[in-house]
Amino acid sequence: MLSVRNIVKQYANHLALNDVSLEVEKGKIFGLLGPNGAGKTSLIRIITQITAPDSGDVIFNGKKLNSDHINQIGYLPEERGLYKKMEIGEQVLYLSKLKGLSTAEATKRINFWFDKLEMGSWWNKKVEDLSKGMQQKVQFVATVLHNPELIILDEPFSGFDPVNADLIKNEILELNAQGTTFIFSTHRMESVEELCDNIALIDKSKKILDGAVDDIKAGYRNNTYKIEYKGDADFSDSAIFDVIELTQTKNGKCLKFKLKGNFVVNDVLNMMISKVQINHLEEVIPSMNDIFIERVRK
Amino acid sequence: MNKILLIIRREYLSRVRKKSFIIMTFLTPLIIAGFYGLIIYFSIKGINDKTDKVAVVNQNKTLKENLVSNRNVTFEYVNDSFEHLKKNLTKSSYDYILYLPDFDIEHPKGIELIGTKQAGLTLDGRISDSIEDLIRDYKLKKSGISQTDLDNLKIKVTINTKKIGDKGEEENSSAGASTIIAFVAGVLMFMFIMLYGVQVMRGVIEEKTSRIIEIMISSVKPFQLMMGKIIGIAMVGLTQFLLWIVLTFSISALTVTVFVSKDDAKKMVASSSIVTASNPGAQQIQAAAISDGPLGNVQKSIKNLDLGKIISVFIFYFLGGYLFYSALYAAIGSAVDSETETQQFMMPVMMPLLLGYALSLSVVTNDPYGKVAFWQSMIPFTSPIAMVVRLPYGVPGWELALSMIILVIGFVGTVWFAARIYRVGILMYGKKASFKEMVKWFWHKG
Repeated sequence: MLSVRNIVKQYANHLALNDVSLEVEKGKIFGLLGPNGAGKTSLIRIITQITAPDSGDVIFNGKKLNSDHINQIGYLPEERGLYKKMEIGEQVLYLSKLKGLSTAEATKRINFWFDKLEMGSWWNKKVEDLSKGMQQKVQFVATVLHNPELIILDEPFSGFDPVNADLIKNEILELNAQGTTFIFSTHRMESVEELCDNIALIDKSKKILDGAVDDIKAGYRNNTYKIEYKGDADFSDSAIFDVIELTQTKNGKCLKFKLKGNFVVNDVLNMMISKVQINHLEEVIPSMNDIFIERVRK
Repeated sequence: MNKILLIIRREYLSRVRKKSFIIMTFLTPLIIAGFYGLIIYFSIKGINDKTDKVAVVNQNKTLKENLVSNRNVTFEYVNDSFEHLKKNLTKSSYDYILYLPDFDIEHPKGIELIGTKQAGLTLDGRISDSIEDLIRDYKLKKSGISQTDLDNLKIKVTINTKKIGDKGEEENSSAGASTIIAFVAGVLMFMFIMLYGVQVMRGVIEEKTSRIIEIMISSVKPFQLMMGKIIGIAMVGLTQFLLWIVLTFSISALTVTVFVSKDDAKKMVASSSIVTASNPGAQQIQAAAISDGPLGNVQKSIKNLDLGKIISVFIFYFLGGYLFYSALYAAIGSAVDSETETQQFMMPVMMPLLLGYALSLSVVTNDPYGKVAFWQSMIPFTSPIAMVVRLPYGVPGWELALSMIILVIGFVGTVWFAARIYRVGILMYGKKASFKEMVKWFWHKG
């Protein structure tokens, strides 16, 4: 539904985006990853039409991005705030009317969301009377209220306690199940693995990796396994695998190893099963966190 | 367009509902009316109720005539010595001692005035005037002019200034009335532009520091946000101005009836030479007193000034001048992270406004048709103040039109200029803005 093609963005003295292209599929949750200062925010600002690219195109639902698309996009920036002196209800109403909703429709939806997120009594409160986490909830509601086709969330969970983070995560999944597409920018890799279907990794103004999360992780498998067993046998000098690590656990030992040559994991089992009691075996798949660190360090 | 209206509405309502706005709006006319009441009060009672008593020690052999006492100064000639009087001044009933030595009449020197307190400029002037009169009279008599001729020479003249209006008719005018209106208009204009311009800047800084700006401009264009804010605040200013006019006029009317008691009114009618009231009904006397008394001249002239025109031109220049400056203030607000950083940028914006203010209230009121006045009322940096100051004295139609056109071109220019800085500035955080930086933002494309 959204395709970014060869975007270049140059600021006064540095290149923020260097020929970046990516595809966001409809109904998916797309993770936009990268270290600080990589160019994520610059890219998001181009998609939300806050700034314009120097060259390249953004295509939204088959059309070149234009001002008609503003109302179909919801954006929760990382640096976000509200008018401090304004009442919550009035404020969300104002923001959603700016996105083209009528007063009646907006009021109806605000009531719906406030009930849903346990914010029922907040309408007449002022922003300065709310905690940071409570303000984040208000901002989330303001972002999704106009039912946008595409929602862009920049670090949506920062500032939330685990209970509210979970609440918001479930709302994201529910909206996604109804067909809303998400772009999700974060540093928290565990939430990427929980939520994202696809990702793109941007580093130093360039896209260095993209694809489905499962495919990427599969691509980073390297025949590493972890086995837990009870027994005293010594496997440190095996012909089948190289030992990476041997640790003592509560119930025995845990051995992390990498297979040699053409051996498969069953060969390991065959060899060990007669010598020790095996409790657990699993493949060690690199986490997104590992992949992130590995790629960015390169 | 619809979005700009929403922004205007929010900016307007959020300010008009503030307590400080409501207090300011209702308190200011009360204060103005209070001043107006005081002026009327004193013009009836006379500001100087107290008469200074001056002991005169005259050792001059030529000046035999006595200084003439008047309402404010009583001269009493004493035979005591100057030194003795000086010692006992605090105990005596005199406020001052005037010492006239035996000076040469051609070069009066050595006159001293000693008091328990420093004599003010007015007293000083009054006494020296009296002495000058005395010397002049002496000299005139010496050259052979009789006392009767001298008395005949003393004539008081009041000038009834008139001006030929646009249609050739004669209008009563008074330099006094024009100057009062010019001052009030000039000060108000300066205050309004400053006050509301700074409000625009504060509003922009608030949006920036509260970090709502990025949420806002993902919904509206920076230009819409800036213009919405500027127009919304302009409407707050207009509301306040119109309320002030209505309230000031109604409260002032009330003060006049309260302050001018019937007795005072009678006194004033008696002292006036143009008593025409044949019906001694209290109301008429009161009205007559106001229209014919010393204040009456000014009031009559104010009526002739066409307040409607002055107010509507004032509103035009307020809007024009405000738009001109507030756009610059918006640009400043966008460039900084907090209000404390605004100082270095405020100066260059404030200077022309201050200069216009200072020059308008001095040079322009003295010579409302001169070159300085003309150019000041053409250059958009100063024209809002200069033109409203000139207006009560009368300004040719073409000058007014030309100045208005230049002002419109001027504010379109500053709005365009400011918008280019604003759109980049509002997204810049933590970077110390400089003029060099702002020039870069201005040329930034996209």
